[in-house]
Amino acid sequence: MNKRYLMAALLLACGAAQAQEAFPSRPLTMVVPFPPGGVADVTGRPTAAALEKVLKQPVTINNRPGAGGAVGNAAVANARPDGYTVVMALSSITVIPEADKLFNRKPAYTLDQLAPIALVSADPVILVVHPSLPVKTLKDVIALAKKQPGELSYSSSGVYGALHMPMEMFLHAAQLKMRHVPTTGGGPAITQLLGGHVTMTAGGPAAITSHVKAGKLRPIVTWGAERHPNYKEVPTFKEQGHDIVYYIWAGMFAPAGTPEPVMKVLRDAVRQAVGDAEFKAQMARVNSPVNYLDAPDFAKYVDADAKRLATVVKAIGRVQ
Amino acid sequence: MIETFNSLMMGFSVAFQPQVLMYAFFGCIIGTLVGMMPGLGPLAGISLLLPATFGLNPIIAIVLLSGVYYGAMYGGSTTSILMRIPGEAASVMTCVDGYAMTQQGRAGPALAIAAIGSFVAGTLGVIGLMLLAPTLADFALRFGPPEYTALLLMGLFVLAYMSGGSMLKTLAMAVFGLLLGMIGIDVMSGYTRFSFGITELGDGVGIVPVAVGLFGISEILMTAGQADPPKVQQPSLRQLIPTAGDLRHSAAPILRGSLLGFMIGIIPGSAHIISSFVSYGMERRLSKNPERFGHGAIEGVAGPESANNAAATGAFVPMLALGIPTGPVTAVMLAAIMVHGILPGPMLIQQQPDLFWGFVASMYVGNVVLLVLNLPMVGLFVNLLRIPYAYLYPCILAFCIVGCYSVSNNTMDVWIMLAMGVVGYVLRKFGFDLAPVALGLVLGPMLELSLRQALAMSGGEYSIFLHRPIAVTMLVIAAVMLLFAIKPLIFKGKDWRSKVGLDEPADS
Repeated sequence: MNKRYLMAALLLACGAAQAQEAFPSRPLTMVVPFPPGGVADVTGRPTAAALEKVLKQPVTINNRPGAGGAVGNAAVANARPDGYTVVMALSSITVIPEADKLFNRKPAYTLDQLAPIALVSADPVILVVHPSLPVKTLKDVIALAKKQPGELSYSSSGVYGALHMPMEMFLHAAQLKMRHVPTTGGGPAITQLLGGHVTMTAGGPAAITSHVKAGKLRPIVTWGAERHPNYKEVPTFKEQGHDIVYYIWAGMFAPAGTPEPVMKVLRDAVRQAVGDAEFKAQMARVNSPVNYLDAPDFAKYVDADAKRLATVVKAIGRVQ
Repeated sequence: MIETFNSLMMGFSVAFQPQVLMYAFFGCIIGTLVGMMPGLGPLAGISLLLPATFGLNPIIAIVLLSGVYYGAMYGGSTTSILMRIPGEAASVMTCVDGYAMTQQGRAGPALAIAAIGSFVAGTLGVIGLMLLAPTLADFALRFGPPEYTALLLMGLFVLAYMSGGSMLKTLAMAVFGLLLGMIGIDVMSGYTRFSFGITELGDGVGIVPVAVGLFGISEILMTAGQADPPKVQQPSLRQLIPTAGDLRHSAAPILRGSLLGFMIGIIPGSAHIISSFVSYGMERRLSKNPERFGHGAIEGVAGPESANNAAATGAFVPMLALGIPTGPVTAVMLAAIMVHGILPGPMLIQQQPDLFWGFVASMYVGNVVLLVLNLPMVGLFVNLLRIPYAYLYPCILAFCIVGCYSVSNNTMDVWIMLAMGVVGYVLRKFGFDLAPVALGLVLGPMLELSLRQALAMSGGEYSIFLHRPIAVTMLVIAAVMLLFAIKPLIFKGKDWRSKVGLDEPADS
């Protein structure tokens, strides 16, 4: 027993000693829990590049894909809370522990293990249908779905995934039934719709824009709180009388227990980084709108999102 | 036609710009090197290189990455043939006959045929891409889950022709592969299966660590178990060059493999992995002496190698014509042009003619570069075999571990690879063939997903398979193949297996 206390004291002392050093004194690692080229990756890389300028230390990207982001998120949740390891997570970070609970699994990590640093980007999704479907507005969709209960179908990026959540929100709010065809990602979900194998899907603006312009997909309604600047003619769910909002967001977290002064350095660094001109240009090129929130606001944002999504996960229940 | 020709000339004017040419060359070299690293395949190669392309212009980025992609496809065959280590799933079949040829001192012809086959397939693929992309792309979209299921069933029945061992052992191994494929999160329901609480197993067991373990590591262990070290080979120059007979035997498999690979490659999804397996099965079925397969048949190298390179080119059809990813590799390449603000989509060819035609032209160039690069290198590569095994094998083992880890920075993959090495060693000692394990592992998750997606689409009605013409056609072909496959099981002694004494007649 004594030994353990001694160890703990030693560890604390080490931690204290490190905190006294000016942070950061060595390179940082930004874990991206998805493969290169995904939303988290194309957001993480410009952010890391901008952070390097501010922190005057290299920030290396470490892609740790697996289990819908659970592997990378868990790696950071269990990393040493010294601020040298951070994660660029997507909104799925709140859903994974909820799904674990649903299946009585030992959770890969819990949200308490992560301390929010800042929200970097947030993008609403848009409901798109195959152009052969005789619907133009949300009312048409609902009317058609009520006329043919359980006949319409939608594709998603995977069960409990980033595109399944908004569709279920919508179906519960409007009390509709549709067939769900999960796929293995956002790309395949849109491919299924383009081929006419399903009738609709929720898609991010960047993923659907070229197809909408070519007339291969028809946008109906957005989950955004307000209309999307590139889709001025597409109304929001709120305007149509359904109180649902959903964004796919990307934000930075550190392991919980990271010392407050270190957190402050990281928060200040991100605030400066998102103002960087090169960063803004890069984000505009990948059609990802910068949406910055500092830690206190971001924490509230994550909480609200987690609660909202937990309700949806419970409403879906275990898929049989 | 004239228009296509003019566009292509414009494309070549882009591809021959010194800077573009230089990067195409770099891409091919890096790709070849990456492909030769055990455990590292095209996906790992372009994922590692993607961040470096963010600072380049989009044409150069895509030319560089595609060079790495098909360069790695070429390079992957080198380690498969020389050391029985597949760099990716597509070169598993090359290991079987390619390595057998190496053991007979015929590594040179095997490598040369692989390079020639890849060149022919790559070039035919680009021609197909150039002339047919928009037409084929719309056809490819019609491949929904039901069609996919039918295609994969066809792939499954190829199993019967894959292995040289007894049918029972082949099926046992295929089932083992399918069971391995069950591990991980069920995409339809979110349940985690057989992962024992290990988060890293959530995505299932990767094909690369399994293939490297089963084929490569087990080979190293087998060699270590021999009383005398294997003789170090000293090939003469004559032995490096394929004979006229080799070329004659390979011509038809290369053409068939190219066509088959291209057709499978354009279908969205990861079905291109099965192209090399299907090609191998087809060649064996069509061969007059199927018993030579598995013991150094050059057709067994020519067919699959051409098929996987043609499939790699075919995968660009939906990517460029529609802007949709056909698999992880094309998804990364799409990301590479998206970060430059180009939205890939159905309008890409009209809006970015420089990009499309420059890319097509650079693929012609790249294929020639790879042939020129690889043929003279055959001699050099074969000389690697002169290194005494006591030095060569520890190095290979180290490369395998590093390569496997770097794919997703995951130590779990390394453990899987090492465990599979031991499993492979034991299975080979008992005379089991390992290729069916790889095919089972590749097919299992894809087949399950597409079958269940098809049923989700129809609300559980199996009749969906009968309402869709493409699916019906393929199911009929699959049924015919199944009948051919089970014929020897019913009428014992009518098969080549019994001719060479592999399956004993029923009454003995």
